Amino acid sequence: MKTALICGISGQDGAYLAQLLLEKGYTVCGTSRDAQMSSFSSLKRLGIYNQVKLESMALTDFRSVLQVLTKVDPDEIYNLAGQSSVGLSFELPVETLESIATGTLNLLEAIRFLAKPIKLYNAGSSECFGNTNGEPADEQTPFRPRSPYGVAKATAFWEVANYREAYGIFAASGILFNHESPLRPQRFVTQKIIATAQRIAAGSREILRLGNTAIQRDWGWAPEYVEAMYLMLQQPQPDDYVIATGQAFALQDFVAQAFASLDLDWQAHVVIDQSLYRPTEIAHSQGNPAKAKRQLGWKAQFAMPDVVRHMVAAGNKDAGATDSFKFS
Amino acid sequence: MKRALVTGITGQDGSYLSELLLDKGYEVHGVIRRTSTFNTDRIDHIYEDPHKAGAKLFLHYGDLTDGTTLRRILEEVQPNEIYNLGAQSHVRVSFDSPEYTADAVGMGTLRLLEAIRDYQARTSNEVRFYQAGSSEMFGLVQAVPQSETTPFYPRSPYACAKVYAHWQTINYRESYDLFACNGILFNHESPRRGETFVTRKITRAVARILAGTQQKLYMGNLDAKRDWGYAKDYVRAMWLMLQQDQPDDYVVATGETHSIREFLDIAFGYVNLDWHQYVAFDDRYLRPTEVDLLIGDPAKAKTQLGWQPSVTFEQLVKLMIDADIRAVGQTHPNGQQPVLAAEDAIIRQMVGASLV
Repeated sequence: MKTALICGISGQDGAYLAQLLLEKGYTVCGTSRDAQMSSFSSLKRLGIYNQVKLESMALTDFRSVLQVLTKVDPDEIYNLAGQSSVGLSFELPVETLESIATGTLNLLEAIRFLAKPIKLYNAGSSECFGNTNGEPADEQTPFRPRSPYGVAKATAFWEVANYREAYGIFAASGILFNHESPLRPQRFVTQKIIATAQRIAAGSREILRLGNTAIQRDWGWAPEYVEAMYLMLQQPQPDDYVIATGQAFALQDFVAQAFASLDLDWQAHVVIDQSLYRPTEIAHSQGNPAKAKRQLGWKAQFAMPDVVRHMVAAGNKDAGATDSFKFS
Repeated sequence: MKRALVTGITGQDGSYLSELLLDKGYEVHGVIRRTSTFNTDRIDHIYEDPHKAGAKLFLHYGDLTDGTTLRRILEEVQPNEIYNLGAQSHVRVSFDSPEYTADAVGMGTLRLLEAIRDYQARTSNEVRFYQAGSSEMFGLVQAVPQSETTPFYPRSPYACAKVYAHWQTINYRESYDLFACNGILFNHESPRRGETFVTRKITRAVARILAGTQQKLYMGNLDAKRDWGYAKDYVRAMWLMLQQDQPDDYVVATGETHSIREFLDIAFGYVNLDWHQYVAFDDRYLRPTEVDLLIGDPAKAKTQLGWQPSVTFEQLVKLMIDADIRAVGQTHPNGQQPVLAAEDAIIRQMVGASLV
């Protein structure tokens, strides 16, 4: 039986990946910076909280990483940890860089130090590409990141590629385009839209304030994106893959879809707020997942309209929760 | 209206201090670390939507390891007082993550002091600073009891980082005329203590044993002696330090010391159980270097701050047991009334056996 270590198990992808690997018979161990303080509400929501072993691990602390790797002795490591919000990265630039770039480097160094055949999946991001005006981005498209988050993810991507080439470590980056689910916290715009629309449908008279709604994104369904992560580590050779639906929609389309599914007219409830614009914004982001289809046999089954439908159907148990703070 | 900025607001002390400051009419701003899921349960009862008129508690994403963000929060909040309670606060865990502990505890304090130094020089607005020191700094104790003049001998990465933060605070007070105070707080507990801290681990185990959901309690060193007080009393001392005419450092303690065995005696005895039947030894809970005896001399805090504890050791143990019994839906076997006004226990559940 294989053992997997999921760094950042308390997040959306960590929870879905844990569920997938448990189904495949893995022993699943997960880490969070402070496993005492974390509520692990996503694991609880999926009903798998008691099936995973949890460890505290600070990715910015080499000894902490080395100690957990030694103790858990994993066959596969999935690095999903780090500050994960593009918007928040403008507020926490240093922590974003350290948690992502230093964190990934410590993992690679620990694997190198232990000299064991540990496979590493590293969570890359479409934010590395910046604008993909014209052609959908594939694995050959140059990076042009436009946020502290994108810069940090690009750094981590090259660290992975370098350790693969320099030391023969089985390390793969998945360049995942946006992927959503009911486990997204409300500081992400998709969940904010769904949760607000649901409150309005239930009688709330609030106004939904959004930044730039003309931006276009390639939105997929997170539970199927974690399958791609798993598949990358089952290949004979490590490689990097773009994971996307291949279809881009405007944020305005997402909003319209969400409100329409609740029989609401979005234009009556949405206000554009310039203060929510990001310092630098990506106008168009679209991926080309041809390589993943060809080599991994992976293809997205769901695009934006399905994602909205799933998120609305799941309801939002956390609607109104105090999780947007000042970054609403 | 005064504004306070609190790091570590989601912790035990942060939550009690926020309540105290809100009671005193402060506007309270807390720094919270980004997390995928929420861990603000200790302050949820005092949090209101910040868009509402009259909201007095505000939260900001930040991190003690990110100095530029701390500076931006300081500029935005313009606080009169800063309470630095943020840390990797578990001593045993600091042996596993020494670099992270030093970064958050030691460097984190320096980043705050640096930010205050520049802000105060530029704006002439005074920012008073409270640094959460720890009795762990005395470690291998050089005198009994320990006072403000007892030399330190830290025995863990946590304590070493706290000593660094302590001296930096004093240096910034003397070099740049900051109103900066160190509170050297001895152990202080409550029903909001994290469940892996030894006191809470015991009181929670007692409640779970009563409820039939736990059979054994695994412990490390039972001979360690500590000076244990009630956290709610201790946050009052923090506030008092920043209300004085001059900044200074203070030991905050009860002046009594008790062993973990005594804690077990009272805790189990309170519900008519004999702890010897439930407690088993596990060397995973031993620290590489142990601190044997801590007992503080709170004379200075008493005379200068007029501070003293409101709860005895026995009352503290019992109030924690009361809260944990209530939290698991049990009633006291002797039908006793709570020792103090009822306080809710915060439970985040023990996470597997693999944790500290």
